[in-house]
Formats: sequence, C-alpha cells, structure tokens
Amino acid sequence: MNRLVYLVKRLLLGLPVVLFGVTMTFLILYLGPLDPVNTILGRDATPEDVRQLRIALGYIYPNGDPVPLWDQYLMTMRDLFTFNFGNSWVIQRNTSVVSLIAARMPATLWLGWWSVVIALVIGIPAGLFAGLRSNTMSDYLTSGGGILWRAMPNFWLAVMIAGSLTAGGAFSWYRDFGPSTDVIGTSDALGAMLGPSPFAGIPVLGVIPDPNLGNILTAFKWILPAALVLGSASMGNEIRIGRTAVMESKNSKYVETAKAKGLASRRIILKHVGRNALIPLLPVIMGEFYLLIGGALLVELVFAINGLGSMFLRATIGADVPMVMALAFIFVIITVAFNIVQDLLYTVVDPRISLEATER
Amino acid sequence: MARSTADTTNESFRHDSSTLTERIAANPEPALRWAGVAAVLLLLELGAFLGGVLTLFHAAVLGVTALLEVSLGAVSSGLGEAAFGFQTDALASISGVRDAAQSIPTLLSRETISNQGHMVGPNGPWTGTFLGLEPAYAWGIRVVLVLVYAFVTAYWLFRGWLVFRNHYRQADWTPTDDIINRLRDHRWGQFGIAVLVVFLTLALFGPALGPTTVQQNIKSPYAEESQIEYFSDDTGSVETVFAGKANFDSKSKGPNQNVGPMTYDDYGRFHPFGTLPNGRDLFTFMMGGARISLIVTGLAIGLASFIAGALGLISAFYGGTTDLAVLTTADGITSVPRLLLLVMLSAVFANHWLGSVLDGGFLLALIFGFTGWPLLWRAVRGPALQVAQEEWVDAAESFGQRPTLIMWKHMFPYVMGYLLVYASMSAGGIVVSLSALSFIGNGLGITAPTPAWGRAVSLGQSYVAGPSWHIALIPGLMIVILVMGLNAFGDGLRDAIDPETKGSDDGDELAAGGGA
Repeated sequence: MNRLVYLVKRLLLGLPVVLFGVTMTFLILYLGPLDPVNTILGRDATPEDVRQLRIALGYIYPNGDPVPLWDQYLMTMRDLFTFNFGNSWVIQRNTSVVSLIAARMPATLWLGWWSVVIALVIGIPAGLFAGLRSNTMSDYLTSGGGILWRAMPNFWLAVMIAGSLTAGGAFSWYRDFGPSTDVIGTSDALGAMLGPSPFAGIPVLGVIPDPNLGNILTAFKWILPAALVLGSASMGNEIRIGRTAVMESKNSKYVETAKAKGLASRRIILKHVGRNALIPLLPVIMGEFYLLIGGALLVELVFAINGLGSMFLRATIGADVPMVMALAFIFVIITVAFNIVQDLLYTVVDPRISLEATER
Repeated sequence: MARSTADTTNESFRHDSSTLTERIAANPEPALRWAGVAAVLLLLELGAFLGGVLTLFHAAVLGVTALLEVSLGAVSSGLGEAAFGFQTDALASISGVRDAAQSIPTLLSRETISNQGHMVGPNGPWTGTFLGLEPAYAWGIRVVLVLVYAFVTAYWLFRGWLVFRNHYRQADWTPTDDIINRLRDHRWGQFGIAVLVVFLTLALFGPALGPTTVQQNIKSPYAEESQIEYFSDDTGSVETVFAGKANFDSKSKGPNQNVGPMTYDDYGRFHPFGTLPNGRDLFTFMMGGARISLIVTGLAIGLASFIAGALGLISAFYGGTTDLAVLTTADGITSVPRLLLLVMLSAVFANHWLGSVLDGGFLLALIFGFTGWPLLWRAVRGPALQVAQEEWVDAAESFGQRPTLIMWKHMFPYVMGYLLVYASMSAGGIVVSLSALSFIGNGLGITAPTPAWGRAVSLGQSYVAGPSWHIALIPGLMIVILVMGLNAFGDGLRDAIDPETKGSDDGDELAAGGGA
C-alpha cells in the first residue's frame, strides 16, 4: 500500500479515537459529582452568586433552566476542535488557558526531552553491553540493575533522589556542583536559557532555547535528577529488551558470515547486531513518550517543577473544567499521533514489515 | 481434566467416566493422608482464614449492594431503600460472623506469642510477653513462625495437586504437567511465587504480624481499650497510658526526635520498621497497607481480566464491526494517559459516597478495572483471533453449538494462559499506580487514616536525608519487591506456558503503571 494512502487511512481511523477520548473526559467532568461552582465560590456563597456563576459557566440559562447536557457537549466540542480553549476557571481566573499552557510548557518539554535522551544514552548501550557479554557477572549486574530500575515507582524514586540532593542531603546538588540553580518552581536557569531567545514572548516558539552554552548547561544541571527519574522505567525496559535482542541477533547466520569474512568486531556490533536489535526497541522508545505524560505529573509534583503535569493535577483537584478539557484534548491528540508515527517508523526501520501487516 | 462428558454407553469407557468422588472412595488413603495434614494446618489458623475470607465477602457484598442500591434507586426510591435495608442487615450479620471468627483462638496469634508487655523494673524482667522474652524476640519468633506456616501451607496446597495427579487423575498427562515442570526449573519465576506468598501472608495475617494492631495504634489510639502499660523511669513504677499519648512521644521527625527501625520507644514498645512522623508504628501501618493494596489490586485485576477476556473472545469470534467497535473503545480509553485518567476519575468521585466503600478502595478497584482492560484485551486479542480460526471452532459452529458455549469451551482455555500472564504483569502496574494516588493525597487514593503505602512515602518525604530515612525508604522498597515479584511471576508463567516466545517482552507497558 502506498505510504500516503496508509497515512490518510490511519488519520481517519484516529479521528473516532480522539473523539472517544475527549467525550469520555467530558462525560467524567460533566456527569460526575464534580462541583466547580462550590469550589470557586467556597462554602459561604449567596444563592444569587451561585446563580450568576452557573449562568456564566454555562450550566444554566439566565431564566434558571439547566442547559441540556447535549448542548453543553456540542458547545465544548465545537470550542475544542476549533482550538478555542477559553479561560481558566480556578487556577487563574479569567486568564486564557492557552497562555497558561504556553507558560508551563517549556519546563515539561525540557524535562521530557532529557528524560528520553538520558534513558536512550544509558539504556541502549547498557543493554547491548549486557547482551554481548551474556551470562557473565557484568551481564547479571547490568540486567539485574535494569530489572530493579524498572520496578521502582517513579514517585518514590523522585522522593528519594530529591531528598538526598536538596539541602541537608548527602550532597547538595542544586547549590554546589557548578552554577547554583533554584529548586522550586520553573527555575531561573530555564528562564535564563529561554529569556534572550529571539522567539521569546511568542507562545510555542518561545521554547526554542537561546544558543548560549552556559545557560543551557545550567538548565540541564537543574533538570538532570528529575529527567533521570522520569526516564527510569524506560531505561530499565531498554536494557532488558536490548539485551534479548542482541542475544538473538549475535547468534544469527549473518553475524557468523560477517565474522568469517573478517569484519572488525566494532563494525559487526554497530552495523549488524545493533541495527537488528533496534527493531524490538522501537516500541519501547515510542512507549516512553506515552509514559512521559503520566509520569511528568508525579515527577513535577515531587521536584516542584511548574510544568503541565503539575498544572493538570491542580486543575483536576480544583475542578478547573476548561483547563482539564484542553490538556486532555492535547494529550489525546499527542498519543494518537505517536501511535501513527510509531507504525510508520516500523516500516522505515524494518522494510520487511509491510503496511498491510501493521494495519489494525 | 476429568472427562465428565465421555460416552457412558460404551462399556469399556465406563470406568473412565467415574467422578472424582468415586475415585477417591475407591482409593481413599492418599487423599486422607493429605486431607489430614491440611485439616491440621487449617485448624491452627481457622480464625485468621475465616476472618480474611469474610472480610473479602463483606467488601464484595457491600460493593454489589451499593451498586444495586444506586441502580434501583434510579428506578424508584422505595426499591433503593429496600436495597439499603437489605445491605445494612446483610453487612451487620456478616461482620458479626467475622468478629466471631476472628475471636477463635489461633496458634500463631498475638495473644499466644505476645510482644506487648512491660518491664517490672528499670532493667527488666519483662512481663506479659511470650515466655518473658524481650518484645523484639517475641515478635521475631511470631513473624518467623507465621512465614514458615504460610510457606508450608502453600507447599501443601501444591502437594494436594500432586496427590490428585498421581492417584486420582485419569489422564496420564495434561499440558498443565508441562507448565508445572517448566516452572520447577525457572528460578526467576519461583522468586516471583515466593514474593507473592510472602505478600499474601502479610495481607492475610497482618493483624498477627504487627507488633501492635491497626485499631489500637492507628484508628482509635484514644479508645478505652487502647491503653498500654509501661515502666516509667520518672516515677519508678508501672504506669498506664493511651496509645495515642505514647505515639505523640514517639514521633520520627529527623535529628531531634526519632524512633528508627528495630528500636524501642520510651514506652517499651518495639518498632521493627521505626515510627511515622505522627508516632504510629510503621510496620503495623505497612501490614494494613498490604491488605488494602492486595484487595484493591485483586478486585481490579479480576474485573479487568473479566472484561478483557469476554471482549477478546467476543471480538475475535464475531470479528468485523464488533472488533472495530471494541478496538475504537479500547484505543479511546488508552488515548487519555492512564495516570491522568486515574487522577481525573478519583478527583471527580472524591466526595461521592462510592468513595467511602472500603475506604475508597472499592471505587479505586472499579476505576483500575475499567481503565485497565484495554491493555489486557490487546494482549489476548492476538491469541483469541488465532483460535477463532481453528477448525474445532468451525466444527462446533457447524453443528449448531451456542456461540457463548463455543467461546467458553473451545476458545477460552486457549486464551486463559495469556490472560493470566498479562494480568500478573499489569497487577504490578496497579500496585504502583495505587500507591502513587495515595502519595498524591488530596482526596485521591485510600482515605486516611486507613493505612496506604503511598501515604507513608508522602509522610516521609521531608525526612529522606536524615535519621528518619526509614519512613520513605521502607514502604518504597516493599513496593519495589512486590512489583518485581509480580513481574517475575508473569515472566515465569509466560515461559512455562509458551516456551517458544522465551524472551519476548510484551508486558513492559503493562508493568510500568502508566508512568507512576
């Protein structure tokens, strides 16, 4: 099948999935026993205030009749799919959701990017190493470490690492060790890195960092512990799967052939073993993005990073309906898009996989 | 295994169709020998077993009647009230039976081997403890005995299967034999089974294992019966104090005030894991947490497996539009990141009455079940599709067997193994997510003061670096061990059921718990 036709088909099939995910979120928020009016006004609100607010939030008509759920649903969907996310109800009243998200996004992107990269840079070589030296002491140490690393809950690992790195811990990572950085909130380090960027002030594009190496290094140092935690589960998976994949491919005929024709072992490992071991690793690497969004919530909470995850938590607990709807919508679209990209990438990494076969 | 449906008209097959009872009656000796030991094991701890079973039954009745109450109440308020009346009566009688069961004396109970005593003088000796030993030793003996008992019982159950296989099973060989034999060589899988046995013991025998009880130490430390005696150095005599007051003086809050693991507090109480920042005993807290964690995980994984298995069979059997509809639903549910969905659902239902059933655990189990089935379904969909194309399914269809019967008899046995493997892997994810929710707090997770592992980590968050490190470290290590055990069990089971795919790692996404 033509790749473009396939892509279009997958996009069309992805549409009902997005609709389902968003509808589910809507139903949970609107049918569930959530009471934003009470949360916003507090307990000692007058009935008139409550009535006014209900009208303003679109729960009832000015004449007191409740707005039918169906109308609320259609209105919400129309706003979401035209990217009209409205204003926040609770977190910052009357501030647009888009600007709040844009302000919090850089921290989360910075965290997510490094958690993926660190997991890849440590996990894959460790997995290859363990697989090449299978059933030796160093293999047992590496893969045992991988199993342990994988089983550790993110939130606990974050608590342990944050606790031992901040002041009073074994060594104070944020103050000593090169330039000192803030521990709480979206740090100065990130601000300094993003600040002088030519794109600063423009949402989305403001994320592109200023090419000042010192600032980037400082921001990297600040995010490193959190990124290590967020990437932990994926790193464990990569070690495990990389090891099995290498063990399978290193005993195969083509590696024997390469050895027989006198190829240098470095080339064999890189070209023949490594490339083939990459195929089973691909879903893990892509799966990492999926874990990132959920994991970011807890890691940001523990490391006190002002990102999207911690904002989602605050919005959910505080019944900030537009904010939750917008974030859920964005996350759903990202997840569905990544699934499609993953299936397309399969065919690039392994040409033997046909598009027909990956069609679901 | 028993060929109950064999053709009875044929004379030569007659003995084949004998029931298990008939076969045992023909050769009762091995069965009697096994049952004798089993009965002794059961009698030793009858109270604890009955208590555990009835606690589960209590939770199940509460949950089911609560759902009935809502659905009937929607139809007519009278029916809802009738359901509520029935619920109240049923629950009262069950908890009455449970309390009676729990008061049956058991050999390994805290009363028989007591660690709660006090010194009669400034340097001992101890009175009220088992054989006058120090509380630490009394407690240690009790824990070791309970664990030994649990492992012996687990082995004896396995032994029961062996007796059945050697003496009463008609088939000389079944696929189960191969699975068991492969598990016997699988050290990693055996580690998983051992971990599971230990944690089930912690959950079932929690009240007997802790140095004190959840009721006395955590839930109502100022109740009339929560008074303890201790030898006071100040007055030089034995004094009485409320457990709550003693807790107040035994807090672990860093350098100035700390009761670490394996130490005594000022009131002569032994704390194997130290105390929490509010002075409560961490070990007792962890035992309570083990119980609620395993109940929630068990309910959730049961619900998710049921939905995934049923939908997997249905979508594979009917295919086409049905399959596509289930696929879209599953993709839709998984498209919202799991942890966000969990947080959202538990936050929305935080103040709902459903959130009070089983201290919030019932609601959490429902949430985990209804959000967890898509991943399980995806794992069994492949095998289910394969078996749906087998000739025996065609054959059954062609002679007009009902679809439900075909799915149950001819497809489910083939899919069950996979379901079990992936269920045990995602159980680890549920344990982690559950503790993550309790860690966040704010109305999510298990309601305080009922113990929850995640809350202990949260309480110890500010004391990680310092003398009170135990508060956050120990609960986390327990989660790590349990999750590793569940993963190992899943790995072992997979290798045993399907040795061909040795080393494939499909369970990873499940085991990760959505990034929690």
